[in-house]
Amino acid sequence: MLISLEHAKKLIEEGRVLHIAADESLLEQLPKGKWIAGTTPYFITDQGGITCKDKLFVNEIGCAADYKIMVYDRENILDITKDAYSNGITFLIMPYASDVAIHYAKEAPNSDDLLMNPTVGWISGFDLSSGSSAKVYDGSSGKSYGDKAVALHICLSDDKIAALGIVNIFNVNENDAIIEFTEDKLSVTKCLVNGKEMFLSDYIAENNIDTKVPLVADYNGTLINVSIKSVSMENKTVDLYASVFSGKQYRFASPVNDYEASFAEHLRQFKDFSPIFSCNCILNYLYGGLEGKSTPPFTGPVTFGEIAYHLLNQTLVYAVVTDK
Amino acid sequence: MGLDFVFKKLIKKQVTYQSGNLGLNLLITRLQGKYSSNQTEEELNRCLQEMQAFFTKYSSIMQKDIEELKKL
Repeated sequence: MLISLEHAKKLIEEGRVLHIAADESLLEQLPKGKWIAGTTPYFITDQGGITCKDKLFVNEIGCAADYKIMVYDRENILDITKDAYSNGITFLIMPYASDVAIHYAKEAPNSDDLLMNPTVGWISGFDLSSGSSAKVYDGSSGKSYGDKAVALHICLSDDKIAALGIVNIFNVNENDAIIEFTEDKLSVTKCLVNGKEMFLSDYIAENNIDTKVPLVADYNGTLINVSIKSVSMENKTVDLYASVFSGKQYRFASPVNDYEASFAEHLRQFKDFSPIFSCNCILNYLYGGLEGKSTPPFTGPVTFGEIAYHLLNQTLVYAVVTDK
Repeated sequence: MGLDFVFKKLIKKQVTYQSGNLGLNLLITRLQGKYSSNQTEEELNRCLQEMQAFFTKYSSIMQKDIEELKKL
């Protein structure tokens, strides 16, 4: 819920366990407590998408039987699964373009216990019009970081269990070219297009690919996006917002003409859903014109990358806690 | 566990099963990739253990998947 600074302070002082998203100017004013936070001034509320610097989006984690807050860097971020409670959920926030986020993007899928411990979260961002920096906050210490990740490990009671899910409005055409990569990278030059080597930048240019659509790979029926950040014809380089992985087959997604309608169609099955957390990608917000448009039942921060075990792009991510 | 035979077939890509559960789909993808690059009995057993552990932990919310897998 989007609340005032005074309300957020009250919740913190009451000892509530909180996940918070807000502009840096507000987060700097919060007292120490049982919370973590990340910066973003963009949100999807019940009334629709909004840019807001005078309210905070707060998820109270009322289901927490216990909790711990930990800070990680690129050297130990994959310890996150070892530090998680055996029956719990971990909220993870990492700053945009940080080494820890880049390392997680590439290495998390290789982590042995990743899928045994639900890790949900996001990449913190900033006001794109003013160009400030992305940060995360450890509310227990009052410290903020531009180069570290914060995690809120939640322990659930024995009768509860957490699960994660995603909503991806992008589809692929099975007849489109298959694109493969020989290395796991966030910046690519050459690729294989239907088995033939070429520069990805050339493929994009020659085929008039709209770079607002992501590359999509099929993970056993779950479609996972990798979004295009920039294309340099001079350097023959394509920078990405997440890593592509060797051994996966990618296709460019089909364009989405109406993001709000597409979300509405995908979200019909979630009519009576009560997630404890949700976030949606800034690229969906910008490309889809989601300002003023809602995605019920999901509300939450608009983020510069999403985490549902892996780092994701152009995706709505959610977490639920249900009875066993 | 009664599903071990099906789990092994899934890992070896001898059968296909797509779940509505994100974690399970990512796990199946991961284990198929691991086995594909090291097709030994030891790797198969390691993958099987991961699958068993996942289903043991999440059995309460995987009932639909369990019923569907039994049919394979």
